[in-house]
Amino acid sequence: MWTYLLRRLFQALFTLLIITVLCFLLTRFSGDPLAQYAANPRMSAEDRAALVERLGLNDPLYVQYLKWLGLAIQGDLGNSFFARQPVSEMIAQRLPNTLILMMTAEIVTVSFALFLGIISAVKQYSFWDNAITTFSFVGFSIPIFFSALGLMLIFAVQFKEWGLPYLPTGASVWDKSDPVEYIRNMILPVTALAFVNSAGYSRFVRTSILEVLGLDYIRTARAKGLTGRAVLFKHALRNAALPLVTIVGLDIPFLLGGAIVTESVFSWPGMGRLFWEYSQRSDYPVVLGILLIISLAVVILTIVTDIVYTFVDPRIRLS
Amino acid sequence: MKRNLFALLSLLVLASMVLAACGGAPEATEAPATEAAPATEAAATEEAAACEPGGTEPIAFPDGGKSVTAAFDQEPDAIVPYFTQMSFAVWVTQLTLVGLGEWDDKGTFVPELAAEVPTAENGGVSADGLTITWKLKDCLFWSDGEPITSEDVKFTWELVVDPANAVTTRTGYDVIESIETPDDTTVVIKFAELYPPWPTLFTQGPNNAGSILPKHILEGITAAETDPFIRMPTVASGPFVITEWIPGDYMTLLPNPNFYKGRANLDRVQIRFVADSEAAKAALQTGDVDWYPNFSEGDIEALEALAPAVVLTVVPGVDFEHYFFNMGRVDGVDGRGAAENEGFCPFKDVRVRKAITLGINRQAIVDTLLFGKTTVPVSQWPNSAWTNTDLVADAYDPDAAAALLDEAGYTVGPDGIRVGDCNGTQTKLSFNFETTTAPIRIAIATVAQADLAKIGVEFTPIHTPAGTFFGQYVDGGPLTTGNYDMGGYTTGFYPDPYTDNYKCENIPTAANPTGTNWYHLCDPALSDLMDTALDTVDPAARKAILDEAQAYIAENYYVLMMYARGNVYGSTPRFQFGPVGPESDLNWNAEDWDVTE
Repeated sequence: MWTYLLRRLFQALFTLLIITVLCFLLTRFSGDPLAQYAANPRMSAEDRAALVERLGLNDPLYVQYLKWLGLAIQGDLGNSFFARQPVSEMIAQRLPNTLILMMTAEIVTVSFALFLGIISAVKQYSFWDNAITTFSFVGFSIPIFFSALGLMLIFAVQFKEWGLPYLPTGASVWDKSDPVEYIRNMILPVTALAFVNSAGYSRFVRTSILEVLGLDYIRTARAKGLTGRAVLFKHALRNAALPLVTIVGLDIPFLLGGAIVTESVFSWPGMGRLFWEYSQRSDYPVVLGILLIISLAVVILTIVTDIVYTFVDPRIRLS
Repeated sequence: MKRNLFALLSLLVLASMVLAACGGAPEATEAPATEAAPATEAAATEEAAACEPGGTEPIAFPDGGKSVTAAFDQEPDAIVPYFTQMSFAVWVTQLTLVGLGEWDDKGTFVPELAAEVPTAENGGVSADGLTITWKLKDCLFWSDGEPITSEDVKFTWELVVDPANAVTTRTGYDVIESIETPDDTTVVIKFAELYPPWPTLFTQGPNNAGSILPKHILEGITAAETDPFIRMPTVASGPFVITEWIPGDYMTLLPNPNFYKGRANLDRVQIRFVADSEAAKAALQTGDVDWYPNFSEGDIEALEALAPAVVLTVVPGVDFEHYFFNMGRVDGVDGRGAAENEGFCPFKDVRVRKAITLGINRQAIVDTLLFGKTTVPVSQWPNSAWTNTDLVADAYDPDAAAALLDEAGYTVGPDGIRVGDCNGTQTKLSFNFETTTAPIRIAIATVAQADLAKIGVEFTPIHTPAGTFFGQYVDGGPLTTGNYDMGGYTTGFYPDPYTDNYKCENIPTAANPTGTNWYHLCDPALSDLMDTALDTVDPAARKAILDEAQAYIAENYYVLMMYARGNVYGSTPRFQFGPVGPESDLNWNAEDWDVTE
């Protein structure tokens, strides 16, 4: 067990190192952070050179990388070029917002997907199954910026025009100590996220339940005289849901990254928008910091999942 | 099962309706304003007479106070102006940190912290033009109650030119030799060399970000750019003080009790950070925000359709969209300004340049694509005090254009495109035009292409992402290296006319990669005129030289002025702002803003 764990940790560190090198090179070649000053005739060549020097952009690439890595290992993600704040501070400010939004969206998505998937599977080929299938394909095919803007147009702009109670167009300047206001601000982004995500998940639930329902042990349960409901919830769902749990588990690290499009459309002050805004300005420290945290989460959660599997499934041995 | 589904759905709908209803009522902050302003003003005057600060803290937001909210789609990076050049940052600076002077809505340079604008008559400008003396107003205080003195001005200069600080530009500040402060309200600035654009230093205007910084807060700090004050100044000299800034979310500003003009009308200004102009448009429609300052000309039609919920304001600005010819000359002129590209040979003939200018229906472009909200400018410095008002923009005249091209020896070939002899080579009047991918630029280039086709000129637009188009010389940017035939983008002048882009010496080359003469134009007469303008201190004499320069550029058709860029604001009817001029941003007089219900 311990040897296994050590081996996995070593592998993980090595993977992380490669990820950071790749991310560093990608961000470094994605654009010049000083390009925004290009058209400023008031900025002299000396001013520019001073800024380059200050930001450490004139060091050879490997020196820049090693400097960044050296600090990152000590937990210092550096300062943003433009916001002039420590990156870790910026992430800490945004992370809670993102987690609240993404966790809520995930819970709504999973509940909704289970609900739709079960109906679809149990009433296979019925009107409801067809309706849900249509919904899934529509939800899956519509790009999220479109559905998000559509929701905003209907429930905020049009509702206001029609004199109906309307939802806010975006999260901001709300009183955070007021839970009702907070939830009101979350309704549209959560709906937009859940709409798209549950479409795919519900297909998955439908398929795995249909698969399980055809198995022998379900027939046995039915033969024992159990009611349809008991068979579904006590026997079928439990096994059908396991693969879904895995998928949701693998989603968790990416929840940290936030939802770039949804957060942008609804002005949600989360990680997705942070990443998007600062990658546009080639602010390497911020972009790298976010990528590092997500990579770290993926690597750690993969190890945790592997370990948890050994407890759940006795067929798996760590030695 | 069916019944459960319906029950759940109805519950969801009901729940969302209830939640929506809870917050649907107008905000308390929008309630009718209490008329407390006159009393406060009177108090401020009395206190000023005694020369005591009106307070040491921003004025707290009262119940039912007057508040407006802006939508910004870019979050400011630093509010202290020497460390940023983002428009969104400068707009916040105007609310919080003022300078010695500013440009008002009529384009007049007016004093802010200064008692008056220095002139030769009032002794503020020395005879040799090397010494500028500013007098500050009496009884000025920072929002924390500390006095604003000439020492603050001197300190600001020291901070900007200190090599330990990474400011974005030191231009102008670096030609100051010394600043003396004989008393608390006198600032004597001595320049090492003539610097006629001195009004741009320590002041705010379009594309010009300066202000006075508090010595008592910043003294002794090193690497100022990392100091939290640079990002979020907590002490203000302007009408408002930033009291809260939740990154990615919003910013709150409350009135400065010590603002030199007295307390602002509004009780609070909030700035919400939104994703883009679309999000801003939606928020304006619901009244979630009261204004958005950064619409483009392409939004005009959509905004007009939103009336009366959204009020559209378009002010033709000092920035202008221009097309220009690559005038590259490998051999240079009189040994000056050798470019590393040759340009397109026919462009060396003024008749060709004039024909292309006359052959594009610029007024039609302004009328149809820009909804007649702006104008075709005549000069390099439109809508400003520097404009040569004697000039008239050439009208669309395809017949005259065709005649000019005939005269220049270019005749229509079998494919409808003119061909002629240029320096001994048969040359087709077929060239590319490079600009960015902005939708409005694509639309305008398409019109220009159709217009020019009518006179036998093949004009091929190329749309390059801005990051590449404006790329540096070392990165092979087309503008800087001259790898284009015709080019187009928006430029503007800094409150003082910017003339370096017409100088021979500023053509970018490997030896001079940061040169700003992207026209690759070396006309010694024009170049020398610009030099003279920079050696002339007397504003009237300078204006005469620049008038001459504008006429010279117009006669030689080096650039086509397409249209004066409009500042396009969308606001809610309750938000009362203004007046706004070409050289003043919306925010220049925020202390006078108000709301009506």
